[in-house]
Amino acid sequence: MRRLLLAAALALGLSGVAHAADPLTLQLKWVTQAQFAGYYVAQAKGFYKAVHLDVTIKPGGPDINPEQVIAGGGADVVIDWMPSALAAREKGVPIVNIAQVFQRSGMELTCRRDSGIKTPVDFKGKTLGVWFSGNEYPFLAWMNKLHFSTNGGPNGVTVLKQGFNVDPLLQQQAACISTMTYNEYWQLIEAGMKPSQLVVFKYSDEGVATLEDGLYAKQDEISNPAMADKLARFLKASMEGWKYAMDHQAEAVKIVLANDTTGAQTEAHQTRIMSEIAELLVPDPNGLGYLDVAAYNRTVEELMAGGSAPVITKKPEGAWTRAIWEQAFGKHPIVAK
Amino acid sequence: MNTTILLLLSLLTGCVVLVLLARGDSRPCRIATPIVFGLLVLWIWQVACVGYHVPFVLLPPPSDIGVAIATHIPILAVDFRQTVLRSVIPGWLIGSGTGLLAAIALDGSPFLRRGVLPLGSLVSAMPIVGIAPIMVMWFGFDWQSKAAVVVAMTFFPMLVNAGAGLAQTSAMEADLMRSYAAGYRTTLLKLRLPSALPFVFNALKLNATLALIGAIVAEFFGTPIVGMGFRISTEAARLDLGVVWAEIVIAAGIGTMSFALLSLLERLVTFWHPSYH
Repeated sequence: MRRLLLAAALALGLSGVAHAADPLTLQLKWVTQAQFAGYYVAQAKGFYKAVHLDVTIKPGGPDINPEQVIAGGGADVVIDWMPSALAAREKGVPIVNIAQVFQRSGMELTCRRDSGIKTPVDFKGKTLGVWFSGNEYPFLAWMNKLHFSTNGGPNGVTVLKQGFNVDPLLQQQAACISTMTYNEYWQLIEAGMKPSQLVVFKYSDEGVATLEDGLYAKQDEISNPAMADKLARFLKASMEGWKYAMDHQAEAVKIVLANDTTGAQTEAHQTRIMSEIAELLVPDPNGLGYLDVAAYNRTVEELMAGGSAPVITKKPEGAWTRAIWEQAFGKHPIVAK
Repeated sequence: MNTTILLLLSLLTGCVVLVLLARGDSRPCRIATPIVFGLLVLWIWQVACVGYHVPFVLLPPPSDIGVAIATHIPILAVDFRQTVLRSVIPGWLIGSGTGLLAAIALDGSPFLRRGVLPLGSLVSAMPIVGIAPIMVMWFGFDWQSKAAVVVAMTFFPMLVNAGAGLAQTSAMEADLMRSYAAGYRTTLLKLRLPSALPFVFNALKLNATLALIGAIVAEFFGTPIVGMGFRISTEAARLDLGVVWAEIVIAAGIGTMSFALLSLLERLVTFWHPSYH
């Protein structure tokens, strides 16, 4: 009996010594694809495990809005774009940027050459497609800058809420559609269109780019020291994952495909996405995940310059913090390029 | 704590009033009961949302919804025009009309009946979320594709109901027509179609609901930037739940009004039916 009790006490003691992994849930902005390679790689290569984190990665999709998920308590950290995050902040959702993963914008407007469009001025009177659900803010800001009303008519542009496919351009239902440099543009090429048949306007070239994929968490979680520590560990391991993914792209694609439960993604398409995405995380002179305040201010200015319909009406306060990043990296940032 | 007390007291008072009202049989009593019930629900909703500090993005209180309706009337009007006037009504008329014509055609031909009914059942069983993107590809982004979805949804209910109505003429009345030497066409026009009218109205009322649902859901899959479905999906994504609920209230109102109008029309046209005596 005494030996039994002793054995039980030892077992309990030993289990207490082993460090239990902290759970953390990440909500992606879109479906499983190489756009989120860093996180899947960090999970597969054990980077999260090494910092004692048990991370659940939830894929997004057409009707999944990261701000709603975090507002409803469905995730601890989400990937979101700065414009919709700031708009959600104004609506009362207290999310804060803890890291800016993509330094450059991948958003572009792709037009058919046979629609006669050569410069943005030619958009007048044409039909343009844009996604909504948070992706329309950069487009609306750009139309405001060009002084085009989005209500149609010969002096404005007719806007279509495009689905998450490239059919409106293929079927000539729109002169231009919104595409990402890393995804939908290549869907057009894969569908048989030639680059010579397309005219592309990159938001970054037009001076209307806004900050895209970043990591966001709720204000009260960041203020909680235990949670802030978890987020810092998560950030460190995730950026390690990104560095690995950028240096070992073929392996990253395989990891992403292994995590794709839909079976809809192909290796060729994901390889293309991975190589394009790798260009959006750089240049990162201060390290991966560092938010460049000048870029943040440009995004804010663009969103506020909406004339009669600005995306946000007042300058955001406390919308970003470098505290988590500093806790994660301090003097040792991971620089990719 | 205070909120809970207020809620319980309101519920108690409300139930007592309703029970007393329900006992009375006069016309004012009958009108007052649903009104009081509706007001009670709104009151409970308002108190609970405000008292328990329910986040706006989860459930806005009725006062905020009222404000949203009042401040967005131009948008609501444009959406009403796009969805109800340009998508629902044409789709409902075409779908019900072709369903009725198909029922008459099937009535005269057992061959067609055996062939078309299973096909009609297949078309109506297709999920809207599957048909809508295909219709957008066939008919474009504007109201035509939404009306097409509504036609696909309303065709079969009308076909089945009108077919049942045409089939249920009793033997006695058929014999009477035969004794008048009435041919197939005369019997159809003077006896069988009029006596199928209650079934036709049944289908029209059912189709009115289906048409509204179909048009709103079809707008989730590609639309110009007006319409009730468009507004609901994009404003929900923007966390502007006040406008979403405003659209829901409008849709519910339209559904109820169309049902009431159709019931009134039914009463006028089929006044002879035993259910109105």
